[in-house]
Order: sequence, then C-alpha cells, then structure tokens
Amino acid sequence: MIESQRHSYHLVDPSPWPISGSLGALATTVGGVMYMHSFQGGATLLSLGLIFLLYTMFVWWRDVLRESTFEGHHTKVVQLGPRYGFILFIVSEVMFFFALFRASSHSSLAPTVEIGGIWPPKGIAVLDPWEIPFLNTLIPLSSGAAVTWAHHAILAGKEKRAVYALVATVSLALVFTGFQGMEYYQAPFTISDSIYGSTFFLATGFHGFHVIIGTIFSIICGIRQYLGHLTKEHHVGFEAAAWYWHFVDVVRLFLFVSIYWWGGI
Amino acid sequence: MWRRLSSQFPTLRSAAKSNRLSAATLSSPANLRPTVPFIARYFSTATGGVVKKVEDVMPIATGHEREELEAELQGKDILGINFPEGPFGTKEAPAIVKSYYDKRIVGCPGGEGEDEHDVVWFWLEKGKPHECPVCTQYFELEVVGPGGPPDGHGGDDDHH
Repeated sequence: MIESQRHSYHLVDPSPWPISGSLGALATTVGGVMYMHSFQGGATLLSLGLIFLLYTMFVWWRDVLRESTFEGHHTKVVQLGPRYGFILFIVSEVMFFFALFRASSHSSLAPTVEIGGIWPPKGIAVLDPWEIPFLNTLIPLSSGAAVTWAHHAILAGKEKRAVYALVATVSLALVFTGFQGMEYYQAPFTISDSIYGSTFFLATGFHGFHVIIGTIFSIICGIRQYLGHLTKEHHVGFEAAAWYWHFVDVVRLFLFVSIYWWGGI
Repeated sequence: MWRRLSSQFPTLRSAAKSNRLSAATLSSPANLRPTVPFIARYFSTATGGVVKKVEDVMPIATGHEREELEAELQGKDILGINFPEGPFGTKEAPAIVKSYYDKRIVGCPGGEGEDEHDVVWFWLEKGKPHECPVCTQYFELEVVGPGGPPDGHGGDDDHH
C-alpha cells in the first residue's frame, strides 16, 4: 500500500481545457461586443465562442468525474479543495448580486427628478408582489427543502429516494422558471422603461439565469445519483449543488422583499 | 519535519516531556503517535469486533481513495511518516526520521517553548546522522521504503 501511495494529494495530468476555455471566453466576449455593435461576423464569433466554451465545460467536468469517481484520486484531503473553491465561488456570487441590489437601492432611495422624484417612477405600472412574485418565492423555497430531503436520503444510503427527491427539486425549479417567463411576458414595463425596468430585469434576470444553472447542476446530480456515483461517504458534487441552490434561494428572498415588495409599493 | 506533539494533546505532551528528561536512559526515543483519524472512529462504531471492508463502507471506491479508506478501517495511518514527532533527539537517543528513500529533507524547529528556533532545513542521509547547528538536536534516518535516490530516476515511482 505504501508502495503506491506516498501522499494523499492529486497531482493532475496536463490538460488542454484551461487554454481552450480561455480561447472560448475570448471569442465569446469579443464576439459579444462585435455583435452588439453590429459588426460583420459578430454573431458568428459569439456563437462559436459559446459553443467552444460549453464544449470545454462538458469535457473538463467529464475529466473531473473520471478522476474522482472512476480513478479514486479524490481522497479526503483532495475533497477539501473543491469545497473551499466552491465556497469562495459562492462568496464572489454574493458580491455580484450585492452590486445589482445596490444599483436598485441607489436609484430608489433618492429618486431623481427625471423619474418624478418617486419610486416606482412616474408612469411605471408595477407587478402586484402578492400574486405570482410571492408564489414564485415559495416555489424555490420548497425546492430548497426538497434538496435537503435528497441530502438526508444520500446520508441514509437510500439511493432511490434521493433520486426522487432530486426529481422533486428539479420539477419545482422548472415550475419557477416557467412562472418567471410568464411574468416577463406579461410585465407592463420592459428593460428600457426607466431605471426601474433596467434594475428590475437586470436583478431578476441574473437570478433567473442562476436558477437555470442550479437546475442543470441538480439534474447532473440526479443523473449521477441514479448511476450510483454519489455515496454517503463521498458526494462533494451534490453538496456543492445544494449550497448553490440555497444561495439562489436566499437571493430570491432578497429580490422579493427589496425589489418586488418594498420597491413596488 | 521533526515536530513535537501539538498542544491539542496535553496529556501526551506531558508524557513527551517526561520522556525527554529520561531520554538518556532509553535506547531509542519512544515514537508517540497520538493521531487517530476521526474517520476510523466513525467507521468502527457500527460493528463490534467484525472488521469492516471497503466494500461494506463504499463499494465503488477505487484507487487512492480506496487505499485511504482501507487503511482507516484497519486502523493504520499510511501517512504517519509525514509527521514525525517525539522527544528531543540526543546523541545517545537520536530523533528517528523515517524515509522511503536514502535521503530526506528534514526541518528542525528546536526544543520546546523558549528553546524553539526558526526551522532549519537540511538533507538527512542514510548512515549520516545530523546535528542541528542551532540547538544540537541529533537526527538519524531510518529507511522504511525501497531506498535509493529520491528523485524518481531508476526507481519504480511513476510520479502519481
């Protein structure tokens, strides 16, 4: 045993994905700017960049799964790395959303004369927070409860039940996204209707985008749970998905209280 | 690195102190190993005398993860060699540092409390005891692995 393992760390093999991901990001950002300024070929470069980026994400995470689940490189001490990394990632996400909330409060706490000195701005008809917005706060909260159910099922070794719980988590997430799409479609204002529309759609839109990421993350966890990758001793990927899901939940609570409710009355 | 027992184990530390005082009478320093991985305790609670296998705990475990789990279930500390600790090494009772190869980089932090000094690093080689130029702590290498040079050339080390 000592012959094969002299330390508990994972020395990774050389990988092409960091550079391919960087090139994909470069093409995406340059293509995005070109597209938004109506340059010729902008849409093509943007699409190629996004495809390249999505491909890199797929193969890189595929490699991580191979190294952890199928090659056993993720010992106890190695598992700490992705855990700390993911916590730091969520901390950076908190800061990102803080900026969006700050933009909203900056504009609403001292409304300028251009918008009539009032919030919501003069002429803006807002959504009733106690209709779809309130329901669409309870749905992700229930989804958060379902992911905790899944966690308990994994810790108890009930593999089938964990899959059911993740199906419930994902279903509630899809219902949320559906309602949110409906709300956007029926909203009496657009992103270009004053600072209200801009901050509203920026904050709720980025939250919705994060819900979609969290939904995909949970679907991947459900598939891995079904395939038996997640055990009660080792399920770092699931833990990360659960933390992310709770983070998205908390952001929705703040959105409801500060933008829909306080900002809409 | 030659480290004395950490402060988390006060009882063992006092044992180490008394050991240090009587080190001259011992032929070799007692190798105190207080580290019992908490996982080992966690896994051993379920069954009484029956030895659990990796297959019972995590059937899909493989590679290093499996080796680590197996060692924990058997109560072995496969990485204990990385944290040498014990009483202050003297010429009569040198501080023994285990090594897989014929030489190993070792750091001396000095004695306890007031006698502690900045870590002094040196190569400790087989058959060549080393005396710390700062605190005169005496070290000796004990080869427990395949021996040979540690650079991986000519050995069976595949760098993983």
